[in-house]
Amino acid sequence: MRGPPHRHPDEPREVFPAVEGVITDADELKVGDRVVYPNQGVCAVAGFKEMEVSGTKLQFVTVKREEDGALVHVARNKVPSIGLRRVASADQMEGVFHYLAAQFDDPELDWKVRHRDNADRLIAGGVLGVAEVVKGLHSLSRIRPLPTKEREQYDNARHLLVHEIAVSLNVPPVLAEDYVDYALMPPAGVTFKLKPPPAPVLLPSRPKKRRPAAEEDELGLGDLGLDLDLEGALAGAPAGEGEEAEGAEKAEGAEARGAEAEGEGEEAGVAAPRAGAAKPEKHAKAAGAKPAKPAPAKAARKAKEKPAKKPAARKAAPKKPAAKPAAKRGGKKR
Amino acid sequence: MIRIVTLTRIDPADLAFLTRTLYRAFGVGTEHAGEKPVPKDARTDDGRLDAVKLLREVDPIRTFADDKVLFVTDQPLALRPGPLGEPPCWGFAEFGGNKAVITTTKLPQRGVTEASIEAYQRRLAREATHAIGHVWDLHHCYDARCAMHPSWSQGLPAEPEMDLCSFCREKSERKVRLAKT
Repeated sequence: MRGPPHRHPDEPREVFPAVEGVITDADELKVGDRVVYPNQGVCAVAGFKEMEVSGTKLQFVTVKREEDGALVHVARNKVPSIGLRRVASADQMEGVFHYLAAQFDDPELDWKVRHRDNADRLIAGGVLGVAEVVKGLHSLSRIRPLPTKEREQYDNARHLLVHEIAVSLNVPPVLAEDYVDYALMPPAGVTFKLKPPPAPVLLPSRPKKRRPAAEEDELGLGDLGLDLDLEGALAGAPAGEGEEAEGAEKAEGAEARGAEAEGEGEEAGVAAPRAGAAKPEKHAKAAGAKPAKPAPAKAARKAKEKPAKKPAARKAAPKKPAAKPAAKRGGKKR
Repeated sequence: MIRIVTLTRIDPADLAFLTRTLYRAFGVGTEHAGEKPVPKDARTDDGRLDAVKLLREVDPIRTFADDKVLFVTDQPLALRPGPLGEPPCWGFAEFGGNKAVITTTKLPQRGVTEASIEAYQRRLAREATHAIGHVWDLHHCYDARCAMHPSWSQGLPAEPEMDLCSFCREKSERKVRLAKT
């Protein structure tokens, strides 16, 4: 079983079925085994060592990257969590090629989401995850050139995929790359008989947006002595004159208080929905017989985003004098 | 140093153009290092040359550290079929190695007019740049204007560019700089 690293300390760790071939125990490894180290490529197990780190004796598995011979020491107890996996089998590879040659849905256009997902896929997605990154970015590159970071990510993913295919199918890397591009960009007049591609890699869900500390019903309206008839406004029932006047008064009061509260930092967020909440009644007044739209939630959201208006200041502000810049500018130009 | 070895007779003008282009593309000296026979074992049943075998079996060339050798042949090359079939072969290279081979069979007809000869030379230079690019650790590029774009791609223009895109150029320069002895 594999699970992504913690996003937030208070969120439980998600657990997904392990990608095929993931090594869950260091005892499975033997010297000479070929494994894939996520984001590093194909490595061969070179041996087992005991080393002293900060006065503690630890067992390490030494793997040698085949590409350049770099040695990587992995603590034995970390082997299950780093996503070390066996080189994909020929059957798995066939699935990868059918996936590469298949039609692709619209690529993710939000670069933040895309970049994050691709990074996850490269680490925990197995060979199909790497193929997904290559195919996704390749499809995107047909729409527009990739930004530098993604261009590098595309090149790295391609490098990892090509080398794993080369090892798996026992062919030179350039030939493996030809296979990949033959599937991605078939020549004119070539069609493939494709099998259904394997299911896409499951990615850990991202942390949900944290709800604001002040909830709708915890705005403390009662403390401020307000009793807004929101339900009446939502129902859209035409209110009487007296009620309207009362509502307007309340709204004015709320706005005024909102303006006062604005200067007090956090309380501004509380005052804003109040101003918004008073709006429906105003709308009802303006629309006459028309039923009021159930928009207070929207209005409250808008009000949260924007700082509350300052009616007092607005009233006090003198009217702007008529603009004369055009004439002035014209004069200067001349 | 890039050493060009011909496995067939190539027009000296074409060779001169190829040498100049490779020098410009990678910034390393390029020269014609003579002609060699085609290894007999490399021939397949259908009369083509097995590209992988050819590079393995061809007579050795005297080279120094970081030298790259480019073989040019006029015979069609064959590759081992993959899971989806055999990709068309314009050339083959040892990724990060020191040998590459290209074929002139898929190039446009050389013809006799200046325009056709130029088109032929430019395409030959493009394929050579592509093969040597692989030798310098370059992967295929999605940019159809780059010499590293797959040669069979439908997005490739009729007369493709023979230069590398900025990303591939920078990468190859980095590799060349690191490899210089």
